[in-house]
Amino acid sequence: MSKYEVGRRRLIPRWPVRTSSLFHRIRVPGTKRSLLRFEGRYNPKTLQRELILKDKKPLFWMVGLFALAAIPIGVGQQLVFSIFGSICFFAAINVLWTLIIGTAGLQSFASLATVGVGAYAATYLSITYGIPWPVMLVVGTLFGALMGFIISVPARRLDGLYYALLTIGISEFLRSYITQSESLGGQFNGALFGADRIVAEEAMQTQSGQTISYLISFLVLLISLAIFRLVSGGRIGILLRTAQASKEDESFAAAIGIDFQRARLLVFLIASAALGFVGAFYATNQGGASLSLFSLDQMLLLLAMIVIGGLGKAEGAVVGTVIVVFLNQWFTSWGPWRIVLVGFLMLASVLYTRNGLFGLRQQLIEIRERRKALSRATRTTRYGAFLPEQGPEISDKGVIAEREFERAIRDKLRDWITPEIIEEHRLSPLGQHSDHLERILNYFRKQPISNKYVVYCESAFQAYRVVALSGIPGVPPRLVDDKTYSNLDEAYHAVFLRRINDLKSQH
Amino acid sequence: MIELIASGLVLASMYGLVAVGISLTWSSVGMLNLAQGFVFTFGGYVAFLFAQYMAKNFSIRDGVLLSLGVVLLGMIGSAIAGLIVGGLAFLPLHDRVNFPVRGLIATLAISIMGTQIFMLIFGPQSKPLPQIFGIKRFKIGDFSIAYGQVGTIVVATVVLLVVTLWMRRSRRGLQMRAMMMNPLGANMVGVSVRTTGMIALAISGALAGLASVLLGQIFFVSPTSGVQPLIVGLIISLAGGLGSMPGTVLAAVLLGFAEAVTARYTEQSFVPFVQFALVIAILTFRPRGLGGVLEDVRE
Repeated sequence: MSKYEVGRRRLIPRWPVRTSSLFHRIRVPGTKRSLLRFEGRYNPKTLQRELILKDKKPLFWMVGLFALAAIPIGVGQQLVFSIFGSICFFAAINVLWTLIIGTAGLQSFASLATVGVGAYAATYLSITYGIPWPVMLVVGTLFGALMGFIISVPARRLDGLYYALLTIGISEFLRSYITQSESLGGQFNGALFGADRIVAEEAMQTQSGQTISYLISFLVLLISLAIFRLVSGGRIGILLRTAQASKEDESFAAAIGIDFQRARLLVFLIASAALGFVGAFYATNQGGASLSLFSLDQMLLLLAMIVIGGLGKAEGAVVGTVIVVFLNQWFTSWGPWRIVLVGFLMLASVLYTRNGLFGLRQQLIEIRERRKALSRATRTTRYGAFLPEQGPEISDKGVIAEREFERAIRDKLRDWITPEIIEEHRLSPLGQHSDHLERILNYFRKQPISNKYVVYCESAFQAYRVVALSGIPGVPPRLVDDKTYSNLDEAYHAVFLRRINDLKSQH
Repeated sequence: MIELIASGLVLASMYGLVAVGISLTWSSVGMLNLAQGFVFTFGGYVAFLFAQYMAKNFSIRDGVLLSLGVVLLGMIGSAIAGLIVGGLAFLPLHDRVNFPVRGLIATLAISIMGTQIFMLIFGPQSKPLPQIFGIKRFKIGDFSIAYGQVGTIVVATVVLLVVTLWMRRSRRGLQMRAMMMNPLGANMVGVSVRTTGMIALAISGALAGLASVLLGQIFFVSPTSGVQPLIVGLIISLAGGLGSMPGTVLAAVLLGFAEAVTARYTEQSFVPFVQFALVIAILTFRPRGLGGVLEDVRE
């Protein structure tokens, strides 16, 4: 245990492995994936077997989702149930919307309207034909897919902001349609109630009824997260990311055989069907649908959630939803100030972060890297056998320390080399020397054998030459020059001069 | 028939003012200004406060001077609001990565905050503006047209013409057109992106303020009164081709008349249908709108 604990590496949790199965993995049945990505390795210091968790995200997901499920059930108040119910509902929509905006790259603002279409269709059919709630869920999904198909038609021709505006227009259009339509509750300002419920209306007054209803909403959130994972992490997500990673999306994608349009519209359709399902679920949970599903304000609030959390990430969508819904529904006594605060958060996250809360980590890492690069570029000290930026590439830090040490020694010895020292060596290459000369000679002696200068005896007491050893067994030494020395002391001194010369030119 | 034309033109001039502002901002600054509704309402409230002040302190409730003051202060107020939007969304963001999307979100945030702040200050009730053109009516044969309608059409047309001329003739207008065509190139030959962008925002704000004062004659001013003009302005600038003045004016006239005709011969409730159907039809045949000049230039 050292006195000073430097760095954060010691804080990484490690699991010791007792058995021999260091690299064993438990895989999800039917796939090649494991639930937690462990790396098995030998600790370079203690040489113990250990496991390191390489990706901690699934743990955070599990803890977060457990908290989301457990808190309202633990508290058991109606207000808390309703807040967490909205969190689950909006988070499910936001996760699917992230699929549309992030994975498919379509700036559609009609996702809430798709939910509304699913909800109104299911409610209307339930009221008119008395279909039970499982059929309502199917109907909602189908209508969501239909709506997705309809609004995906202009997506083939429009892109970017044009499409965004068009989808805003479509949802306004639907809203005004419902306020005018008599069969969809236009006379009650769009409120259409009386659909079949999963949890009966009387049961909603009891604690157990609320718990069941909440758990179903939570299940819907889990389903949407699963869809996100399957689509975005699956083959189609990889195709889309590959295409978007290049500058000219479509031409590049087409060149490597990806049908970009088809892939993104497929993702759009899947997400829309799922949104319709969420809408139908809303109808079965609330017993109907209301016009707030089409309101522009609600849509903007959803956008605020996604922007605050971080665009294009499921965790950003969920956490942003938690923040905004909590602000909006818990602090109701603040009045309009809470919406001002939401707007302020949105503005702050767009001004100061590149991608919301969950882009912050990457941003901080980049800032740190930039600082490091700057200080590296302005540093003037010259280093030994490696550059500072090579540091992270050398896994054994002992090598770096050794090289640094050698460099320090060389710097010191270089200062000691003076004409007097050389003269001293010339007079007596062997025997007792001054302290500095002795240290220089010791340094030369302990150098590795390859390319080391040695004396070669051509004929004893007559001719000596300087050669360099190859360092490889079986490979003869090479001659370094054609000078011949008549006595051994001269040859020793010639070797010394060569070594000094090399030391001076080395850094 | 004349009534129909008059109401169509009134709507067209109202929409045109807002849409040209949005279009101008988009083409020169490169930012879709969703806070235009906030700008619109801001001008309306400034005009309202002015009228209230005049009525309280000087008991002036109508007259040419008051009308002029209301119009001017509405425009100035909205121009200031445009500058606020620019200061919050354009100046800090315009040289960062992904500016179009981040600018859009920032303006959206401003619009969300603005609506709520108006709600806090002025309450949810609508506030009336003085009738700047009086309440008399023209008589042409059997038809009668309100002064207000004629005034709206004339003022909007004159202001739009002045802006167009200014864009064509003045040095600033030249700079702005240069920035529309190629922002980087304009910057290289010495056009300041920041100054020009702020001027564009102020002008589009002033246009929205004028529309606000004119529309305030009919619908009054309320915290959410900017939403409808914003949406209609957006779809018109979209249908007209973002960045094209003639296209935008043409689209405004088309949609204004579509609304007037629909409201006259069917119900008012069908208006959004017809408008959106028209826009979708236009965009299906011309994906970049009627003007459609900025296809590759802006990228």
